[in-house]
Amino acid sequence: MRSFKIVSGLTAATCVALALSACAGGSTGSTTAAAASNSASPASSSSDAASSASAASSTPAESGAAKECTGSVGFMGPITGGAASIGAEQLNFTQLAVDNFNTKSGSTYKVVQGDTQLDPGQASTIGQQFVSNSAIFGVVGPAGSPGVDAVGPPFGKADMAFISASATATKLSDGSYPTFFRTIPNDSVQGPTDADFISGTLGAKKVVIVEEKTSYGEGVATSVKDALVKNGVSVTVVRVSKDQPDYSAIVTSVANDTDVVFVTFQIAANSQVLATQLKQQGKKAVVFGSDGSFSEDFKTPGSYVSSFAPDINGIPADAEIIKQYDAKYGAFGTTYGPPIYVAAQALVEAAQRACEAGSITRADVLAQVKQTKIENALTGGTMSFTAKGDVEGAKFYVFKINESGKPVFVK
Amino acid sequence: MNYLTQQLVNGLTLGSVYALIALGYTLIYGVLQLLNFAHGDVYMVGSFAGYFTMIGLGGPQNPMVPIWVMILLMFLAGMVVSGGLGVMIEKFAYRPLRSSPRITSLISALGVSLFLESAVLLLFGPKIRNYDTTDYIPIGTGIHIGGVTIEPMRILLIVISAVLMVVLILVVNKTRLGRGMRAVAYDSDAAVMMGVDVNRVIMLTFLIASALAGAAGVMVGLVYFTINNYMGFLAGLKAFAAAVVGGIGSIPGAVLGGLLIGFLESLAAGYLSPNFANVITFAALIAVMLVKPRGLLGRSAIVKV
Repeated sequence: MRSFKIVSGLTAATCVALALSACAGGSTGSTTAAAASNSASPASSSSDAASSASAASSTPAESGAAKECTGSVGFMGPITGGAASIGAEQLNFTQLAVDNFNTKSGSTYKVVQGDTQLDPGQASTIGQQFVSNSAIFGVVGPAGSPGVDAVGPPFGKADMAFISASATATKLSDGSYPTFFRTIPNDSVQGPTDADFISGTLGAKKVVIVEEKTSYGEGVATSVKDALVKNGVSVTVVRVSKDQPDYSAIVTSVANDTDVVFVTFQIAANSQVLATQLKQQGKKAVVFGSDGSFSEDFKTPGSYVSSFAPDINGIPADAEIIKQYDAKYGAFGTTYGPPIYVAAQALVEAAQRACEAGSITRADVLAQVKQTKIENALTGGTMSFTAKGDVEGAKFYVFKINESGKPVFVK
Repeated sequence: MNYLTQQLVNGLTLGSVYALIALGYTLIYGVLQLLNFAHGDVYMVGSFAGYFTMIGLGGPQNPMVPIWVMILLMFLAGMVVSGGLGVMIEKFAYRPLRSSPRITSLISALGVSLFLESAVLLLFGPKIRNYDTTDYIPIGTGIHIGGVTIEPMRILLIVISAVLMVVLILVVNKTRLGRGMRAVAYDSDAAVMMGVDVNRVIMLTFLIASALAGAAGVMVGLVYFTINNYMGFLAGLKAFAAAVVGGIGSIPGAVLGGLLIGFLESLAAGYLSPNFANVITFAALIAVMLVKPRGLLGRSAIVKV
């Protein structure tokens, strides 16, 4: 009898917890209780990284004899949890950028890992730890927009520059967080680019937007919807949890005369499942994925996907870095890595400039980050920040998936 | 009408998966009164075993054996690996704690669950794996009635689930092992005195329950394509809820509970809101529990006076 009561109690608790997590939009989605690992990893200077110096060059940093400096870069991203595949690549690219810079400059910068699990609560805890760790002069991350909201105020107070490579919510750069920067365009750029392509080039009249219930999904979906409605397209929005294993029910509800299904998943494999199920149920709609779907996992021929870079694998300056990454960590599958490489690069180069001008304080590094100008950046072209911390002249690009499942540049 | 039928097909597919996992929960609870929270992760490991068997046989695009042989071997691998894992979990994580308070085993189960999730993450990395079923089962095959489509893998899933459930019911009710299971469930001390090898019965219970989860894992890969190391958590929770709603300890109850959740989820997503599908499903389940606290097919408690 007692055990039965325990079972009933647990079931009720489970039901309530699940209901609440669904209401919250499934922002965590992870079961592991891994705490932030706040151990500094030694900055290894791999010899094979030496050849990358030219690709990772920055004009202001090349100032003759480099001074040997030390300090730590804080990394905030989902190293474990449901988005671990993204976080692992972000961490690896951060480490690679720091290693390459160490090899080039003779300095010994380190990366301190902070596992946010894509959870703003966890991000807040790690943010406090980073602020009180005097070795950390700046932070790469957090990965998601809610995480940026969580650490924006304490980092602002501490003059801690933080550069996110995946937080796209437009409002983050409205001046509320003066030490915030990002290396990717925000949602206000992606929305109109994708919407104009859908209504103009594809001539769509009826669109279904599948919005992943995360701040990423919501931001992109809202931006695309607004632009589509402005273009006179009929839009239906369907919201789904990112942990949904099956999209059959949603696919069934897509009307047969729908021209395009726009998906805002952060995990490209989910877009692939939805696209396949659409075909299985005989729906004619074409799938268009936001930048979260730009990955080898999304490979349904005839689909479209947008990206913040023309083609990472096609930028000549990137070949060396991609080769190094492949050799060290294996092939990368998402578009999340290269922007964070640029973020880490901007931060250590700023630290180096601050060090050569005197000392590495957070305020000095912040001032130098604002002066960032990276030529031949891994994300294409020259990268610098606007006064609000956005990327100067940011653009989005559209690709079509060809018969062999590879994205081909369209516009 | 087509819309409703298609949603019911979707629900039946999903429900069959939940039912298979729920059977494992209910079987283990019935025999040990243990909530095996690692069960969802055993299902996840089964789906990885099936995936790597497929890769080992040449991958989805160039299989070295006929498709049906490959699928059969994937099921076998999933069931054998998960079954073996279940036996090991019982031996190392639960048996030493059998005489401890029940909450100790529950904590151990949660520990095993986290261990398995992290072990798979460490061994195979965080990459989401894809069964790429449509590479070897072309899109467009299957049954088409009006606008309703039932793909071959869904038919296979529903048939295999039904067969496994019937076999399980026969094993429990008609065999010597089943009699042993029922005896241990009823009174394990008395079963020992009557010559039942309790350890063996419990081990075999874990073997069967985990093998069913392994089969469910492979099916999910074949029908829904993608698998990852965290997939067991939510599926396990839903299957657990299914087992409880059906009446934990009852085999037909687990099947009924699983199907109920599958249908509720599909209909809620199709007619109301995909975003609130979980909320609606679990609100309905809470309502069921309020009316029938022992679950739909749960036996009423007989209290010794």
